[in-house]
Amino acid sequence: MLHEITFTVNGDPYTLAVYSQQTLLKVLREKLGLTGTKIGCENGECGACTVLWDGEPVNSCLVLAVEANGHAIETVEGMSVGGELHPLQKAFIEHNAVQCGFCTPGMLMSAKSLLARNPQPTELEVREALVGNLCRCTGYVRIVDAVLDVAKNQ
Amino acid sequence: MSNLRYVGHAELRSVDGRARVTGEAQYVCDMTLPGMLYAKVLRSPLPHARILTLDLAPALALPGVVAAITHADFVEHGNFGWPVKDDYVLAYQKVRYQGEAIAVVAAETEAAAEAGVEAIRLELAALPVVGDMQAALDENAPRIPPASVKTDGNLGETIILRYGDPEPLLAAAPVVMETSYDLRHQEHAYLETEGALALPEPDGGVTLFANNQSPFINRDIVASVLGLPPQQVRSIQPHIGGTFGGKDDVLYESSAQVAKLALLTGRPVRLIFTRAESMLASYKRQALRVHLRLGSDERGNLQAAQVKMLADSGAYASMTPMAAWRATMHAAGAYRYQAVHVDTQVIYTNNGYSGAFRGFGNTQAAAAVEMAIDELAERLHRDPLEFRLQNCLRQGDRTMTGNLVKHEVGLPACLEWVRDKSGWQQKRARYAAQPADAPRRRGIGVACYFHGCGLGGEGTDFAVSTLKIERDYSITLTSGLTDFGQGSRTVFTLLAAEELGVELARVQMLRPDTRTAIDSGPTVASRASIVGGNAVRVTATKLGQRLRLAAADLCACAPAQIIRAGEQYIGPREEPHSFEEVVDHARALGLQLAAEGRWEIPAVEWDLETGTGKPYFAYVFGAQVAEVEFNSRTGRTKVTGLWAAHDGGTILYPQGAYGQLYGGIAQGVGYALMEGYLFKDGVPQRTDLRSYRVPRAIDLPEIEGTFIETRLNEGPYGAKNLAEPVMVGTAPAIANALFQATGERVRRLPIPPQPRP
Repeated sequence: MLHEITFTVNGDPYTLAVYSQQTLLKVLREKLGLTGTKIGCENGECGACTVLWDGEPVNSCLVLAVEANGHAIETVEGMSVGGELHPLQKAFIEHNAVQCGFCTPGMLMSAKSLLARNPQPTELEVREALVGNLCRCTGYVRIVDAVLDVAKNQ
Repeated sequence: MSNLRYVGHAELRSVDGRARVTGEAQYVCDMTLPGMLYAKVLRSPLPHARILTLDLAPALALPGVVAAITHADFVEHGNFGWPVKDDYVLAYQKVRYQGEAIAVVAAETEAAAEAGVEAIRLELAALPVVGDMQAALDENAPRIPPASVKTDGNLGETIILRYGDPEPLLAAAPVVMETSYDLRHQEHAYLETEGALALPEPDGGVTLFANNQSPFINRDIVASVLGLPPQQVRSIQPHIGGTFGGKDDVLYESSAQVAKLALLTGRPVRLIFTRAESMLASYKRQALRVHLRLGSDERGNLQAAQVKMLADSGAYASMTPMAAWRATMHAAGAYRYQAVHVDTQVIYTNNGYSGAFRGFGNTQAAAAVEMAIDELAERLHRDPLEFRLQNCLRQGDRTMTGNLVKHEVGLPACLEWVRDKSGWQQKRARYAAQPADAPRRRGIGVACYFHGCGLGGEGTDFAVSTLKIERDYSITLTSGLTDFGQGSRTVFTLLAAEELGVELARVQMLRPDTRTAIDSGPTVASRASIVGGNAVRVTATKLGQRLRLAAADLCACAPAQIIRAGEQYIGPREEPHSFEEVVDHARALGLQLAAEGRWEIPAVEWDLETGTGKPYFAYVFGAQVAEVEFNSRTGRTKVTGLWAAHDGGTILYPQGAYGQLYGGIAQGVGYALMEGYLFKDGVPQRTDLRSYRVPRAIDLPEIEGTFIETRLNEGPYGAKNLAEPVMVGTAPAIANALFQATGERVRRLPIPPQPRP
């Protein structure tokens, strides 16, 4: 069954017809072409599809698109403004927190949410905030460094 | 080294960083094309069975289903595989592991493709399952491999190594350690699952976008099973979300499947694995069972080693024979011996199938021997780190294969670094004095390793690169070796810029494409920096000589009189010419502004019959110390500290190198304590990331690492390699630390929780 939903993605308002069973992940990627949000497991186990839902990180594979009605969604595509990278994006490049890059969009979302609610996290708090985001390349060392570096300089 | 502009500079950043932090990087699952069909795979529900009926008609009758294929749609039923041609693009006559692909459906939507898969009429007759290597060798065990493959029942291959005669030495040795270790399967768990997209071309050929490691091998296999000339198959590599050895054979199957469907339907076809499919159907790190006998004199000098290994290849050989060969070449570790014999059997079972995974056999072999060395040191009442320093390889020593190591050996320095940085002596003493009944007990352990550079005796080890100066003075670079997250595009780019003396931004490296790059063999064995890097260097030298000629002509001097200042060329009259001027002049002179260069690793030779020869031209080395806390109530072990030193020669791209080091260690922590991809009668027990746990950010301690920079003359600017071997020392260091904490030796990886009553 089709439902009409109205929500914002990266500040842009959208009104869309979505099926009841469609996940937010599928709608973002397939209807809006926002493929920066990755599919890792579609089971809430890897965090590659993390987006911000009214500022809070959620696995977009575990929420239905209809539930997004009236909410503000943010994806990695919304992080840079006018070509200027977000401080977290810069820090991820600067610290080589990016290897294959597949976990990166989700990591950035979780990190952004952490710094919004806790601007000066400890290392442990950073690790706990990223616990839902798997990375198989980096051992997390440089990712944690990048987030702490942004916290220190903001 | 100080006059190098890029090599070894800490300020170097990944050339792919920006595309990956903005979400612009396109992985195959992000790519859609107009008219694209979605493919889904029918997989075997049984680990071993004969196919009685396979009828596609019910699927083809469904709305939205456009095409479906089986083995019958391929040349020779889609038979492929190297070094053993025992695999099929889609199952033929039999299925040999649970999850094996049997048929593929292409449909207008994913849902229609899934419905098509469910509608296929499949009838299987279950065969007895062989879930154990010893049972597989029983003469009454059902044969697993196809009759076309020459084997002794389920015994695929036997690999031997013969250096001297260890028997009399072991008989005479006052201390002989004899132990066995059981090393289980490991899943790659790359964040991006397998995917392939095929596009039919007007010439009857096909273009592939696939997240494979080695696009040229993919091209050749796809062409062969489709009956096309290789030139009609073009394989382009998009951004890839991690591989660690795991995206070869499984991707060749998927690529051939979507290519065939694209040719049949005349439409693009895309197949993306679900996570469960990826975990079920992809190949694993092979399980190894290792039996070691190590002999030492009373003063703790190692004398001889005898090793017997069983390698579980699973249903198909894939890379297990090669990984078993590498395991054999490293089975007694990075030590001096007078004699070593190794016998390794590669065995077919119905335990999934196994292939390449970071470390390629040495991860398992080193885990076993490093635990055994620790047990031997304990028996001799020796400090395990000092015992290693006493016996480890140094420049001028002979390896366990009897070969002289002429190049610099950073192993003693690595051991000393991890000893000093970890506070080894104090901690070792403090933890030894813990009360036996303490609820939380700490331990510290060490392991060291060596790892042969390049493919070694596994195959011809070369790479080719091209460079071209474009009309806008940018420089286009290609390599036949590829980047799937490890950073080789950055390494190649910096080497080209270094050698040509230009700004990094001038060099644009193309993504791997079999149409534009030149075949360089597989991107495996941590060989990209040495072999691919040298190929870039050779190519840049050729091109650079032409520019120097042009500059000399401009300055009316000899080429040797030209000096460089930044990008400028300056002659004896001290008038600077810009890079652009020199390029323009070179063009005017008719000099070719494109070059191709090839580099091949110095020849090595291994005689499989006699088990003798020279397996590798050079080695890397390293040592790691792990500190753990054991909780006797839960039986769980937490890694609380890790120190790692690796001798990878000159480090070309430090940030990338540290990324590999930390990431490799994380996979080693998983291998030691968490991961275990377990089979029960051929049935995988963990096919999601909830039950198969890979390390999360809170599972890892701070890691302190360094590189001991020796120099390898043959390497580009003295570089060796690092991507795989950096994980080799982690698991045994953790196992050895746990032994200090508990006093009990667990001879199995991963180590299960050990709750105490």
